[in-house]
Amino acid sequence: MRQPHVTMDNGIGFPRRSLLQVGALSFLGINLSEQLRASAMADDGAEQRGKAKACILLWLNGGPSQADTWDPKPHSSFKPIATNVEGIQVSELLPRLSRHMDKLSIVRSMSTPENNHGVAHHYAMTGHRPSPAMKFPSFGSIITRETGPRRNVPPFVLIPKASAGLEDYFRAHFLGAQYDPLSVPDPSVEDFRIPDLRLPESLTVKHLEDRRTMLELVDRLYRRKVQSAEYANMDTFRQQALNMLLSTAVRDAFDLSGESDRTRDAYGRTTFGQSVLVARRLVEAGSRFVTVLDLKREGTGRDWDTHGKNDSQHRDHLCPELDQGAAALLTELDERGLLESTVVLAMGEFGRTYDFNARGGRDHWCHAWSLALGGGGIRGGQVVGASDQRGAYVTDRRVSIGDLYATLYKAFGIDWTKEYLHPIGRPLKIANSNNDETGLPIEELVRV
Amino acid sequence: MNENRFCSAARGCRWRVIATVWALGLALVSWSSSAPGQVTTSGLRAQQRTITFRGEVSGILTKRGCNSSECHGGVKGRGGFKLSLDAIDPRDDYGWIVEGGGYQVLSPESLKPIEPRVDLEEPTRSLLLLKPTETVPHEGGLRLESGSADYRTILDWIRGGAPYGDATPVHVERIEVSPRRAALAPDATHPLLVTAHFSDGGQRDITDQVRYESLRPEVVKVSAGGSVQAIDKGESTVLVRAVGHLATAQFRVTDNPVADFPEIGRINFIDEHVLDKLKAFHLAPSQLSVDSEFLRRVCLDLTGTVPPPDRVRQFLSDNAPDKRNRLVEILLDSPEYNEFWTFRFADLFRVGGGYGWVHLYWEWVRESVAHNKPYDQMAREIIAAQGYNGPSRVYLLRDNKPVLMERVVAEQFRLFMGRRLDCAQCHNHPFDRWSQNQFWGLAAFYGGMTNTEWFGDNVVFDDENGHEVNFGEQGEELSFRQAIHPRTSQKVAPRFPDGRLLTESERRDPRAALAAWMSSHSYFAEAAVNRIWGYFFGRGIVNPVDDFRLANPPSHPALLRALADDFVEHRYDLKHLMRRIVQSRIYQLSSTPNETNRDDTVNYSHAQPRRMEAEVLLDAISSATGVPEVFEKEGADQGTPPPGTRAINLKHPATFSSRFLEVYGRPLRFVVPERDDRASLSQALHMLVGSTYTEKLTGKGGRIDQLLGSTATNREVIEELYLATLCRPPSEDEADDLERVIEARPERAAAIADLMWALVCSREFADNH
Repeated sequence: MRQPHVTMDNGIGFPRRSLLQVGALSFLGINLSEQLRASAMADDGAEQRGKAKACILLWLNGGPSQADTWDPKPHSSFKPIATNVEGIQVSELLPRLSRHMDKLSIVRSMSTPENNHGVAHHYAMTGHRPSPAMKFPSFGSIITRETGPRRNVPPFVLIPKASAGLEDYFRAHFLGAQYDPLSVPDPSVEDFRIPDLRLPESLTVKHLEDRRTMLELVDRLYRRKVQSAEYANMDTFRQQALNMLLSTAVRDAFDLSGESDRTRDAYGRTTFGQSVLVARRLVEAGSRFVTVLDLKREGTGRDWDTHGKNDSQHRDHLCPELDQGAAALLTELDERGLLESTVVLAMGEFGRTYDFNARGGRDHWCHAWSLALGGGGIRGGQVVGASDQRGAYVTDRRVSIGDLYATLYKAFGIDWTKEYLHPIGRPLKIANSNNDETGLPIEELVRV
Repeated sequence: MNENRFCSAARGCRWRVIATVWALGLALVSWSSSAPGQVTTSGLRAQQRTITFRGEVSGILTKRGCNSSECHGGVKGRGGFKLSLDAIDPRDDYGWIVEGGGYQVLSPESLKPIEPRVDLEEPTRSLLLLKPTETVPHEGGLRLESGSADYRTILDWIRGGAPYGDATPVHVERIEVSPRRAALAPDATHPLLVTAHFSDGGQRDITDQVRYESLRPEVVKVSAGGSVQAIDKGESTVLVRAVGHLATAQFRVTDNPVADFPEIGRINFIDEHVLDKLKAFHLAPSQLSVDSEFLRRVCLDLTGTVPPPDRVRQFLSDNAPDKRNRLVEILLDSPEYNEFWTFRFADLFRVGGGYGWVHLYWEWVRESVAHNKPYDQMAREIIAAQGYNGPSRVYLLRDNKPVLMERVVAEQFRLFMGRRLDCAQCHNHPFDRWSQNQFWGLAAFYGGMTNTEWFGDNVVFDDENGHEVNFGEQGEELSFRQAIHPRTSQKVAPRFPDGRLLTESERRDPRAALAAWMSSHSYFAEAAVNRIWGYFFGRGIVNPVDDFRLANPPSHPALLRALADDFVEHRYDLKHLMRRIVQSRIYQLSSTPNETNRDDTVNYSHAQPRRMEAEVLLDAISSATGVPEVFEKEGADQGTPPPGTRAINLKHPATFSSRFLEVYGRPLRFVVPERDDRASLSQALHMLVGSTYTEKLTGKGGRIDQLLGSTATNREVIEELYLATLCRPPSEDEADDLERVIEARPERAAAIADLMWALVCSREFADNH
């Protein structure tokens, strides 16, 4: 029978050395953000492949209106404005981002087969429609797996935490729990704290050692009897967990108190803004894939799924936060020399209709929609593809989800033609495109 | 031959004795002295016929591996040329060869170029010969030597006009391989004999006309002539592929033969089957479990509950000889049994989703478990569910409208028949005999499902023109459901896999007909007993429990059959099945391995430790610490179930916020659950600093709180905590060492809390063993 192409190893293999280095550096009094930056830029050794080392996904849950963001059209209530790249216009709702167009490229010809949230979200994350008997890993998990972890930092993070059902789309499933995202609470909340990443005051290192002594005694008999591989895995994980708890890097990556008020303000003091800031810190510290979830917010009803009041939602709530947070991110990544190695991708599960419904809303539209991406070796200042006059259908250069994945994988130096073998024996393309074909990188964005 | 192997390795005469006994044991399954090739009538007749595709050529293609799943037998074929796996569709194969073209997944059109692969004018120039002989480039390499007997047969066939050969009145009914199982010494070889049984009762030796494949070639290899060679210690299955048929044989390679197989008591047929195989494979079963081991295991398996210390003491001090059987009866009648199996079946039947009406479904599960409803009836009630009753909800879980027929058919077939049809949705199954036509014929049974509302309380019923109600631009909208074959774009009618269409009266309620067919099929009982067995042993007789496939044979075929027959005979009584299992000697073996069976994980020679489900583990921690968990519901309908509610009593655990359940993995019940029981970094972090392993250990009014407030000595505390977690008293050594450690610590309370932490973090606690 066929053998899996992928080995199902369990170990993550954090190098213990990096923990010691971080410890020693702080002892020398170098301030942390410099230290984080230094470590984020440090050579990753033999696995130096693509330019991209990390990805920040700004997930605009519900699907933004392309006409009111990246693909201005006459039927939009908002005017197009010039950007800092000649010939590229975006909606006037994105004034700050318009000055970063040299760093970003726009794909205006995304086209996907699913027009309902659940399935479309699943499709956008995996390149597959849901199947009753198997689950597909998200492209975030695949990038996490293919790049491997850096230092002791959680490699895949989701901010802020969402419902179990929504988070399921981002998970690794058969690839293994170590490639699942760690989801963290809303960082804009006063007592923002990550579960299980901090030693409680009552627990000292000495105390942890006492506990370990006790565990060794209790475990002695059973260990002699059962020698399973799971035991070894758990030992490795326990050591890694301990390293994470004792390392300042992890704790500090999540600690926004180190950031100046000015910086925090620059991202916007909202759930979205502060989550983007945490994403930047995590990437600096070593995370591989950070997803910022821009979800429906109670109160203002801020929600990309604008079946009602499309215009006021985009104008007053949606675009301003995206514009501010994403622009601050690009500015900072650039200033810190991280843009070269960090892909920024802003997208939802589809776009919205060209005409308004009776409630002044725009409904789901998957036949032609837009997204923006840049950094990590992906060329900025480009527009890929085009939609027709109404923004309804693709007129040029249709791009599939598989093509998007292939582009990202190429930026990371990951072989986008790779297939995994699912335990049920079905081969899975990691860049699955339409009609069971392998996606192709958008060459103009990642030509070497 | 095996005798010699062992003699040369012998270190003394004792070895020789063992080896002789072992060789005798082997001789029981061996037949090596008999010469293969006794020809019978149908074999002779076959030789006189003209060469036909069905008669000879498809056999050669099978034997040479041309139609294996890695080559042209793969889903899309190879290089534009497709054959059916093991020639199960010879008519199609014949077409691809004599007419040409290739199969396309999404279209009934043939892939171009459409050129015959045989050349009747110049037979030697046929692609069918040029390719495998590598006369022209062939990605698959050399498969057929020019001038070989097989080459000449194909050539003669083409010269004779390449006839298909109509189905003869005499056909192969089944193939049999002998031995079906055997133990081998390292480096030993053992011949196989493969016999074809014809429909006229005749037999023929086809040992040299089939294809062999070892599933673990690092353990045994098989030559093209059917000689099995032991390579390294372990177990492997050998697949024997003939035209349209597959047989399997199991081999175990061991250098440690068991001379004196312990004759232990056999309680029921389970023991007969398992012990027979253990004996044949030279694996000695472990000892009978000690009382504390059995008590913890059977309580966890039947009720998902760790017994409290008093119950442990009581059981250990009971001297009645039938105390185990009495305990089993108490557990089967306990409320915890109902709670636990409600939880498990709610998991299996996917009681989930966010709709208010889902509690109806849960109530139905609970009711069914509490009344020990026959399992076939449960299945029928789900498959044929109509209206607004409990099980009808399963069809609406995701979006409050009928689930896609192609999804539900795959799911229910997997759940109730143990087979994974999914692949056949888009193409014939690549590793099994399921065709795409069969898949869509089954899916069409669900094609009439119709709902009544787009929002809120929704009713399901069947209608010849099935449709679903949605909310769209113009308010309520109807969209029609039809079973459309994706390749031919033709409408498909409900059709049983054997080709039978519905009768006039059945057509009124197609799912009732399907339910009756499924629940009375032999697959149904086998899948059911295998699944339940898997819960009790951590491994199915077919494993994974819902992956019955030709190439994934059962480890104990006769046992599986016997369990299924017994289950049917007792009217699908789940409690009866569980009683049979837990009363068996095999279930009650210790998990401590011996020298011969340490590496065995598939033959039930000793109990295999398995991880508790997340919910069960959390409940075990709550009961050990004496601190109940407080659950809070997330989302719109927030709320807290009554204090003391256990995790297994939550109707849908995934809707409650619980870091613990999250990191230990609870299914969302979106798909047939596949729990991941692997360790993870999140678990390690939670164990070190998570609330379950910090605050909860010493919670107010809990076990530690009470012990510290009592006059109990350290020794007594240690014993109590051991009983509460591991259900056994500590050994003398353990108690001594722990007492010393606790006394050396300045703070007694902290030291005792640490002991509790260590106990609940230990694998002995988290495993059911």
